[in-house]
Amino acid sequence: MASSLIEDIRFGYGPRGGTAPLPGGYDADRLMAQLAPPDPDDARWHRPTLAERLALQRQARDDAAARRAGQAVAATAGPELKRITAEDPLTWIPRAATATRGFRERLANLWANRLTVAFGPAAMAHLVQPFRDEAIRPHVAGRFPDMLAASVFHPAMLVYLDQVRSVGPHSVLGQRRGQGLNENLARELLELHSMGTGYDQRDVTETARLLAGLTAGPDGTAFDPDRAEPGDKRILGVTYGEGEDEIRRLVADIAMRSQTADSVARMLAGHFLSDNPPADLVQAMAAEYLRGEGALPPLYRLLLTHPAARAAELAKVRSPHEYIVATLRALDMTGQEAGVGAIPKVGLRVAEAMARLGQPIHRPRQPDGWPDTAGGWLSAPMLAARLDWAVELARRTPPVDDPGALAERMLGDLAGGPETAQAVRGAEQRWEGVAVLFAAPAFMRR
Amino acid sequence: MDLLISRRSFLIGCSAAASPLITRIGFAAAPGENRLVVIVLRGAMDGLDVLRPVGDPAYASLRPTLAEGEGGAPLDGFFALHPAAAPLLPLWQTGELGFAHAVATPYRRRSHFTGQDFLENGGGAADGALTPGRDGWLNRAIGLIPGAGPRAGVTVGRERMLILEGAADTAHWMPVADPRLSAQGRLLLDELHGADPLFAPVWTGAQALATETAAGPNPKGDLAATDIGTHVAARLVADARIATFSLGGWDMHQGQARLMADRLAALAQTVLALRAGLGAHWGTTLVLAMTEFGRTARENGSGGTDHGTGGAMLMAGGALRGGRVLGRWPGLAEADLLNRRDLMPTADVRAHAAQALAGMFGLARGDLERVVFPGLDMGGAEPVLR
Repeated sequence: MASSLIEDIRFGYGPRGGTAPLPGGYDADRLMAQLAPPDPDDARWHRPTLAERLALQRQARDDAAARRAGQAVAATAGPELKRITAEDPLTWIPRAATATRGFRERLANLWANRLTVAFGPAAMAHLVQPFRDEAIRPHVAGRFPDMLAASVFHPAMLVYLDQVRSVGPHSVLGQRRGQGLNENLARELLELHSMGTGYDQRDVTETARLLAGLTAGPDGTAFDPDRAEPGDKRILGVTYGEGEDEIRRLVADIAMRSQTADSVARMLAGHFLSDNPPADLVQAMAAEYLRGEGALPPLYRLLLTHPAARAAELAKVRSPHEYIVATLRALDMTGQEAGVGAIPKVGLRVAEAMARLGQPIHRPRQPDGWPDTAGGWLSAPMLAARLDWAVELARRTPPVDDPGALAERMLGDLAGGPETAQAVRGAEQRWEGVAVLFAAPAFMRR
Repeated sequence: MDLLISRRSFLIGCSAAASPLITRIGFAAAPGENRLVVIVLRGAMDGLDVLRPVGDPAYASLRPTLAEGEGGAPLDGFFALHPAAAPLLPLWQTGELGFAHAVATPYRRRSHFTGQDFLENGGGAADGALTPGRDGWLNRAIGLIPGAGPRAGVTVGRERMLILEGAADTAHWMPVADPRLSAQGRLLLDELHGADPLFAPVWTGAQALATETAAGPNPKGDLAATDIGTHVAARLVADARIATFSLGGWDMHQGQARLMADRLAALAQTVLALRAGLGAHWGTTLVLAMTEFGRTARENGSGGTDHGTGGAMLMAGGALRGGRVLGRWPGLAEADLLNRRDLMPTADVRAHAAQALAGMFGLARGDLERVVFPGLDMGGAEPVLR
């Protein structure tokens, strides 16, 4: 019987130290049950919606205008917006650390990484979090074509991939100002977000022509006919006309291309099981994707019931986010602790730690997002930073009564587990035992 | 934070060798479950700012700028607690925080170094002369506690402290700010990583980096307030029953508002870290935070205070009968001040410490007045324990 620990480790964020192990052995049905709505964590981690943020931004602009006009204004919107942007990134770790549905949370972060948007330009400050909450999360247990459409039509993606700068050269605006297309979103839509292969530059340009007009303004996503490129567009052998509905048709079409099915299947299997996932599983998932019109839960079931899903060997390396979250869960922490015990008033500085480990929060350098292979996360400085985190956390938190028992709870009989527990028991003091556990390779795997 | 103010160029003719009268072997390290922590606040804490006598009609005019602002949290209608110590208020409400006000050692001059040595020595000479043994009162107390082994008393910090030096063998524990693993811990990880083909080569590189970093200078060096509290608690949870350490930075001749907020917050964090670290043992723990003398009743021209006499002692712990301010209040009217400048001490601070030792470790009054605190009259001092 495969260990129920696998549900938490391979498909979640690791066991919480203070909870009893899940009864029985590995159970794919128990994981599938996590997908049933609603996710109880949604309410607990609710962040201001895009609509609420846009309203605050309007208010802040009105306040500024009134001040310029010499009126005395109690400006609350500006500070409120600042507070929200300060909090947004700091919910990433605690939400996962306290997640009651680890598999669902892992999926949300995986899909948000597949359709990456990132902090950077000031305009992104209020877009990243709503994108995660409104474009990704609602579709995690739904259909990928719907998620892809929500992404393409979300202001976060439109700003991040420069769609807001794209103007049809023969549109009203293009003629008047001599402006032209920006192909960035068109290209990544085909390359990163869906097919990956099977299209050419002509398809990219034609897609950019079709997307022109789609933009984001002070009221969110808009379609501006003055930017739209007139005439037919020929993409992947299909003819499209003009306007929002035609864009939706294109997104639906490319979402159901066989290349997209392959890409989604490979991503899921590669993320959860191995950098080289079993070919039979990838094939089966891709076929299921096409048969089920992009419905994701049937793919998840194939993944969870494949023999490789229950293997005792932990083939993947935890990302910094997964790693830090796993250490916090082991100690029954949230990552928000501050001023308790030896934790300083400023808290654990998880954001700084994430940067040192190589994953500054929601700031991947490129639209392809964070790496999802061991090679992306295993370098000497990144591993040294993990050791620092392990030692720092172990020293700052109250001593664990029996670090050896904690190691057994965390790793059980999975590969490397017994050896790690034995090493933990060999440490000179309790905190050091905990540090050895967290710095052990077995704990960095999943 | 200064863990210890580097101060002494003397010491004082005693070593940490075991007394010939006490054999290490055969003694339990830990006599009983009661625990005493003595924090030496170096630099002369301003008791009038920490525990503000807002009910005294002269207070506001003596402290025109320091009394400003929030004024502190009301404690008993007469005293208010400095806002920076607010994290301790829940302890006041549960009776785990208390004070003695208008207290001082018998020392009547105003030198930090002499005053601190005098406080730690526990003698009674007003000119600051040390007792003939030139040792510490906590050490003499340990010598009187049956069954107190060499690890029963511990100094935590970079330097040993006079308060725990003397004939009885005691431990000195120096926490290091360097957070790295012990050699043993590294060895264990070397084995685990060495056995993992994916991690082995990277681990070698990571270790090289770690060594480089460790060899460089440590920019901070000192421990955070919560660290020291946690470390001390860990010693007390193990086999120590009497622990001492010091917190510096209380000499506030100017800019006291800012400095006090910082130091007091650190002291509060330290106490809370002690409580957190001690867990269930907090119930049998008493913390005394003492300083060498108080400060002038009047604030000076640069937003600070100068060396004075009467001051306050902070007490905390589950063993404390707190929620009250001990002592007789002398008043702040000019005629009531010592030399028309300092809060008049109305009690010997040693009497409260003596009460604590009597209550926690069963020391006899005769021993306390002759051996631990020569010349002390415990007279009317109230018991401090529950």
